[in-house]
Amino acid sequence: MSTGWSLWVMFLVVLNMGITFFLYLWGPRAKIPTLPDGTSGHVWAHGVLREGVRKLPLWWVLFSGSMFAAGFTYLALFPGFGSFKGVLGWTSHGELARNVAANEATLAPLIDRFRLYPVEQLANDPAAQQMGKVLFEDNCAACHQRSAKGNVALGAPDLTDNDWLYGGSGKDITTSIHDGRNGVMPPWASLGADNVKNLAQYVLSLSGSPHDEAKAAAGKPLFATCAACHGADGKGNPAVGAPNLTDRIWLHGGSVAEIEKTIGEGRQGHMPVWSPRLTDDQIHTVAAYVYHLSHDADAASSQ
Amino acid sequence: MAYKHFEAIEKHAGLLGILIAIMVSLGGLAEITPLFVEAHTLKAPAGVHPYDPLRLMGKDVYVREGCYLCHSQMIRALRFETQRYGHFSTAAESVYDRPFQWGSKRTGPDLARVGGKYSDDWQRMHLMNPRQVVPQSNMPGYPWLAHDKIDAADVQARMRTLRRLGDPYSDADIAGAPAAVEGKTEMDALIAYLQGLGIRNEPAPTAAAASDGAAP
Repeated sequence: MSTGWSLWVMFLVVLNMGITFFLYLWGPRAKIPTLPDGTSGHVWAHGVLREGVRKLPLWWVLFSGSMFAAGFTYLALFPGFGSFKGVLGWTSHGELARNVAANEATLAPLIDRFRLYPVEQLANDPAAQQMGKVLFEDNCAACHQRSAKGNVALGAPDLTDNDWLYGGSGKDITTSIHDGRNGVMPPWASLGADNVKNLAQYVLSLSGSPHDEAKAAAGKPLFATCAACHGADGKGNPAVGAPNLTDRIWLHGGSVAEIEKTIGEGRQGHMPVWSPRLTDDQIHTVAAYVYHLSHDADAASSQ
Repeated sequence: MAYKHFEAIEKHAGLLGILIAIMVSLGGLAEITPLFVEAHTLKAPAGVHPYDPLRLMGKDVYVREGCYLCHSQMIRALRFETQRYGHFSTAAESVYDRPFQWGSKRTGPDLARVGGKYSDDWQRMHLMNPRQVVPQSNMPGYPWLAHDKIDAADVQARMRTLRRLGDPYSDADIAGAPAAVEGKTEMDALIAYLQGLGIRNEPAPTAAAASDGAAP
């Protein structure tokens, strides 16, 4: 705040407090001309109402006095009187910093303990599960759902089925959260509509799903193109996030129409980068929660 | 001061009214006028640039559709806000927002730093029908944005107006606007705007903590 505006605010504060405080001191001492009948002579309603002259009640005087005391004390302790920062030096940003520090101090023993364990072990820690769940619901649930069952329409994978696009080790999960993932399935419409349909039938045959034998057989040679990412046996490749096509788990839907769309138009999955939003400790904790989701039975049996 | 002066005030309603108005306005004069005048001297911090044409249209769609009625764009300096949404907002971050979108109503979450939190596909599905991605959501869908195309001349007119108000758009920026919004829908614009919110202009936490109370 510039000196000019500081003086402006000080002037207004002095003016306001000065006028009201003067009235407060002067009011009870004012000499009010009083008629012999104890009224001021003011009349309303043709003399029916007359104004008596009374002293201010003690409770009012004390109450108002305490208001002034509170006001002066506030201006002395806190910022308010121009650029005067107040005796306490209080700021909202300083209070925030203190609150954050206090919170971190409270959590420190817990976080220190979490750091000792790899994700796979931390997944069994009830405190880590609880904290991870809150972080998951605030940050991950918008795509993966609160249940972590994923969202086929969006292409957000189910995190509870222990089927992993980029690997399911604690380290893989941590990397997926920390750096994000970009899935790239190129569009293959250039192969022609019939070939896309044949390929879709062949892809269905890989998981033993109901399919058209003749079309699948026709599509089989074309799968050589797909094998670059999905592997010759269609079991996928976690290094590039190519899904396993043999397990009947469908990232973008397993209907014939959806598979044809996936092949013809391609798919671009995008898992955002979380390192700017979550601390490494938070990512570690969320990763443990996510790991726990698909290893619930293990967790239960080890307890 | 004698009693007769008070009697004069009490007996003249007009004078009484004027004096009351003066006393009541003192607080506003102290609280509002300095900020009102100083707001015009506020400079954009490093990393805060005028909206590119697509985001500019997105911002205006955001305003037109009344998103501010349910979403604020101001993270307060309170721990439970900074933990959830990121660094608290500063006034200088909003220098190119006309009008600013700080808001005071949160039916939905704060959006000041939502950019990059979700994928473009998520934003699209969510704007078409929020229940597709968040079953618990009570936000309305905005499907008409997907087929309303952006008018290039309209964007240029808006940029010229903003330049007159002081935003540093160059002639080249304005000349390049039609290419930037070519074939884009209002949905594309709104998503571009949302994805740009806060990600490039997050103040460094340490610097802001050091400059306690510098900016109101």
